[in-house]
Amino acid sequence: MTKFKRKGSLLKIYSWIPIIFLFISVLNEFDFNYLNLKYFSFNFPFILIFFFTLKDFKHFDYFFVFIAGLFNDTVIGLPLGISSLSYILICIATAYIRNITIRPSPFKDWFYFLFIISLINSLNYSILTLFFSFNLDLTNYLINTFFTFSFYIVFVSVFKYYLRGIND
Amino acid sequence: MASSRDDFIIAIRSAFLKKSTQQKFSLLTLVFISIFVIVLSNLNFKAIQILKTGINEVVYRSSFIVSIPENFIKNSYFSILEYSTFFNKYKENEKQLIQLKSSNISNEIIQYENEELKNLINDYVSSSDKILAKIIVDHESPFLKSVIINKGSNNKVKIGTNIFDQSYLVGRVVEVNFKTSRVLLLSDLNSNVPVTIAPQNIQAIMIGAGDDYGQIKYIKDGIFQKFDENSIVYTSGTGAIFKSGIPIGKVRQTENNLNVDFFSDFSQLKYVFAEVEVKMENQSPKKEIDDNSDQKNTAIETKIQILEEEKKIIEDSNLKFKEENENLKFQVNYLNTKISSIENEVLAQKEKIEQSTIDQEELEFLRLNLLYSNKCQTRKLFSTGFKVGTPEYKKCILNKGKIND
Repeated sequence: MTKFKRKGSLLKIYSWIPIIFLFISVLNEFDFNYLNLKYFSFNFPFILIFFFTLKDFKHFDYFFVFIAGLFNDTVIGLPLGISSLSYILICIATAYIRNITIRPSPFKDWFYFLFIISLINSLNYSILTLFFSFNLDLTNYLINTFFTFSFYIVFVSVFKYYLRGIND
Repeated sequence: MASSRDDFIIAIRSAFLKKSTQQKFSLLTLVFISIFVIVLSNLNFKAIQILKTGINEVVYRSSFIVSIPENFIKNSYFSILEYSTFFNKYKENEKQLIQLKSSNISNEIIQYENEELKNLINDYVSSSDKILAKIIVDHESPFLKSVIINKGSNNKVKIGTNIFDQSYLVGRVVEVNFKTSRVLLLSDLNSNVPVTIAPQNIQAIMIGAGDDYGQIKYIKDGIFQKFDENSIVYTSGTGAIFKSGIPIGKVRQTENNLNVDFFSDFSQLKYVFAEVEVKMENQSPKKEIDDNSDQKNTAIETKIQILEEEKKIIEDSNLKFKEENENLKFQVNYLNTKISSIENEVLAQKEKIEQSTIDQEELEFLRLNLLYSNKCQTRKLFSTGFKVGTPEYKKCILNKGKIND
């Protein structure tokens, strides 16, 4: 990684990778739904935002997270601002946990993530059904939460390699 | 207790308000902007609508470009699947093609009749201006079932425009931009379609199940058992949201529900047709008088065209009837020949049976004659027998030598 330090522009590109990935994921939503695995879906942006705002918030601009939320709403067809609010709420939660944590533990982070995504999905569901009269299936939300929670630990192990690279 | 509450407040304040070195906005500002955007996006100001349309155009195009690699993988996956079932599908298609060809002519006649009847009731005839549209974004979200097509208001697509896959209904447009539109699929939970179920002719509402099927709702109690697997669901046209008579799918009964399996596979959509409706009002007799000669000529030409089409259809059907007639005649002749040969056979069989009965009777007589001829035959002048060969003698033999009954 000493190469990055020498080549400042390369380091800059490297540090932008999570944001680029965030935009690709909201524009593309690679959720493998075409495999026709019934009920299978997970929210990759949640994992990405939670991890990077918790561990590498200096390179993860909240403003871009907000814009990514707007893009996500446009692609999915939700009222503008819903996903932005969800993403920013994750950022607030991670900022809070960062302030109160003295000794970070991956296991605690994992269950804290479950709590946060459950809360945000509930909020999403409530806003969409109560204020926008959307018909939504709660089961889909529950299953999505479960898979997002399950995949968190998998993606975290990958993201750690990236962090090791940027910190070295 | 007080110190822990202070810690919590400090942590919250820090989380909300503190801008880190690289952050442009504090989280609290962004929360307020998000809420502001949510409220603003639901107000129907023209400026907001234009801005929203602009964002949609840019995001949809970007999404299409970003999705290219995934779509490539997806399409390759489906291509491999297609090749593996290619032969079986070909055979099925061949069978279906033969069936469809036979029903095509009758459909044309029905279509013509339909048009004629609409003309008679002074209704409008909507032209079938279907424009081909490509699906540029299809994320098959588990929450909302919708796709983005590359046709918008500049192609006369409006909110509510019906979208088809071949001739099957797949959904309707719910959001229109200049060059793109969002289509809400029939499988979405927010999709409600007034339908008719044939042949039972029952009116109902079909609601998307949020999966790859629909559900029939709001039907009378007690008619649940009337449906079978051959029941077809098509649009009833009630409410004028969808045109009438567009096929949707087939009814599938489960324990408590009536589900609809769509004719079209929404996960495989690549191109769809958007029906841009142009209502052509039928002119009343009074108006016709006032029209100028050009319009009259056009009307006459249209009528001639319709009549020519009618003639063509009648000729086609006549040809088909003639062919069927010839076939039937040939079959009748063949059957008649078969019947006469069978009759001859039956007569020959009957004769054989009669001969056999006679032979058996004769044999029986000869057997009895050997036993009882001495009892029945006359030998002396005053004996009680009969002369050989007379009917009385035969009767005596058959009665086993008993002269008086």
